[in-house]
Amino acid sequence: MEKYFDVTYIVESLPMLLPFLKVTFLVAGLSVLFGTLLGFILAAMKIGNSKIAKKIAYGYTTILRCTPSIVLLFLTYYGIPAIAGNFGVNINDVDKIVFVVITFSLQFAAAMSEVIRTSYESIDKGQFEAAVSVGLSPSQAYRRIIFPQAFVVALPNFGNSLLELMKEGALAYTIGLIDIMGKAELIIGANYNTHALEIYLALAVIYWILSIAIEQLFLKLEKVFSKGKQVIKTT
Amino acid sequence: MSEGLNYQFLVDTFFVALSGVPIALIITIVSLLIALPLGFLLALTRINRIPVLNRFAQIYVSFVRGTPVIIQIFIIYSSVPLLLASIFEKYNINMNVYDVNPIWYAFIVFSLNTTAILIEVFRSALSTVSKGQLEAAYSVGLTNVQAFRRIIIPQTLVVALPNICTATVNLIKATSLGYAMSLQEITLRAKVAANVGYNYVEAYIDIFLVYLILCSLVEYLFKLYEKRLRRYKAVNV
Repeated sequence: MEKYFDVTYIVESLPMLLPFLKVTFLVAGLSVLFGTLLGFILAAMKIGNSKIAKKIAYGYTTILRCTPSIVLLFLTYYGIPAIAGNFGVNINDVDKIVFVVITFSLQFAAAMSEVIRTSYESIDKGQFEAAVSVGLSPSQAYRRIIFPQAFVVALPNFGNSLLELMKEGALAYTIGLIDIMGKAELIIGANYNTHALEIYLALAVIYWILSIAIEQLFLKLEKVFSKGKQVIKTT
Repeated sequence: MSEGLNYQFLVDTFFVALSGVPIALIITIVSLLIALPLGFLLALTRINRIPVLNRFAQIYVSFVRGTPVIIQIFIIYSSVPLLLASIFEKYNINMNVYDVNPIWYAFIVFSLNTTAILIEVFRSALSTVSKGQLEAAYSVGLTNVQAFRRIIIPQTLVVALPNICTATVNLIKATSLGYAMSLQEITLRAKVAANVGYNYVEAYIDIFLVYLILCSLVEYLFKLYEKRLRRYKAVNV
């Protein structure tokens, strides 16, 4: 009788899955890049004085926070070609990864705008005033005083958002992107849907190790960057 | 593709999607009811460093937070039926595994998932309540249960509530993945409706709107509750 559960499948599937981590990393990397840029703009809108810009930025964050990634993913996947079609542009040949990156950039931007805003607000206003008072120009003050401090505050939250992004990225297989999740689905399909459990376990192990590694990396980074941090001594 | 939106379909499907809301809510509420006490207890084991349970909770949290929900769903959905089948076989229970309503698997997955998140939430919230509070409660003669019910839990809840709100919203969002278990919730219903005429854009706009309304509502309710609980908040001098 054939066994229901066979550990060898876990071991065998690992080398097949690992090469596709590249795609997962590519999606995550590009999304982080674009998401952080958009996040900066949104955070600037939230911090700035314009009331309308503030409303738009907060509205954007609320809406994106309330949307499951899978819904957003399909909305961009079906929606953008439809909109482009209305303007007579055919983008049906565009690679799927583009839609995935757009989706997760939008989502990451919402998270990042909050991360950037809170870290900016955590820096005492006196720091900026002190910097300007000793003769630094405002842009110098931002670059040399505010940014390094805000960066340290933002780091743990940035790490969390990155982990979240990577996990949500697993959903990209639903529109047919072959990342490690997509490859796992292909392997299961090739096995006639048997031994799915083992493949998923292998996948879970990969993701688990990956997130522990990222977590540790960010802990290290935090330690490195906070060496200049001055802790206020209470006397 | 360029004939624009099908508004009739948009309106019709909105109500189809809306009809999936009860299932999403049932899953959310049941998962929370299981996860809240369990998360709290495991958080206590983490704080009090109870030998085995502490370690177990740590690994459990790390696993759940380190893997995508969709993989957790697939693992439960493909492993629990195997277990059930062998149990049924052993005790001669005449029941087909495939007749089990997928909602039971959803309960398992989402309560396991939420428990892990709530352990962390409660752990950080409990650590904000100073130990003196518990000692003071003992010193005026309260029992352990009384001390927790009247002194510790209210204070913990105030701190934990925003994070519980986030966890709830995330849980509602995660139920959209129930389609992987062929669960008849918001996403699947609208998607099936869209399959007839390839009206995917409209269907997803509807799903999007339903989740937006649902989550905004939940956030609003939590805000109200937070306001009520604020009277327990310790005043910092």
